Amino acid sequence: MKNTIRIERAVLNITQQDLAEKIGVSRQTINAIESNKYVPSTILALKMARLFKKNVDELFLLEETD
Amino acid sequence: MESKLLLPNRYKRIGLILLIPSLALGILVRFFDFQFAFLSLRIGKSVINEKNIHLEDTINLTDELALTGIIVALLFIAFAREKTEDEYIAQTRLESLKWAVLINYILLLVATWLVHGLAYIDVMMYNMLTVLIIFITRFNYALNNSKKLFD
Repeated sequence: MKNTIRIERAVLNITQQDLAEKIGVSRQTINAIESNKYVPSTILALKMARLFKKNVDELFLLEETD
Repeated sequence: MESKLLLPNRYKRIGLILLIPSLALGILVRFFDFQFAFLSLRIGKSVINEKNIHLEDTINLTDELALTGIIVALLFIAFAREKTEDEYIAQTRLESLKWAVLINYILLLVATWLVHGLAYIDVMMYNMLTVLIIFITRFNYALNNSKKLFD
């Protein structure tokens, strides 16, 4: 699975730390999600979607291998 | 996500502060036969066996104190909540624990075949602490690694 979190973050012009604070997680978590090392829970995905005003399936995209 | 069985974040610092004197005491006990005189306890009466060898009738609790300090300190460090304990950190915690148990037993197996006789008691002694030490090392390494990069 890939995601567009880094792009959305650039659009809002906020750092990983800012995003982490807004949705109540650690910076490590944002970093791990952006570098595709961690797949967030549905709760976290929904929180990000709400913050970026996007649908979840616009932020997270399935790949062939999934 | 609420993680159970974890201590407040400040216990990490308390653990570190407790670890230093406990470890120092442990090293003194182990390598220099150090004992606090006031921790000597008489257990029962003096016994002299049939070969006229005076059997030990006192025990000293310095080593118990040192080991308790080290284990409690390591537990505090290992089980202290991170400042933001979230789902990714919880997963990293579990992953690190898995690692620690596995590596611990691999080390134990290797030592079982390589170390013989009385020296094996040393192996058992260090092995009491290695799960926690490997866990703490791996967990903090992983968290530090995912802090770096980007931004």
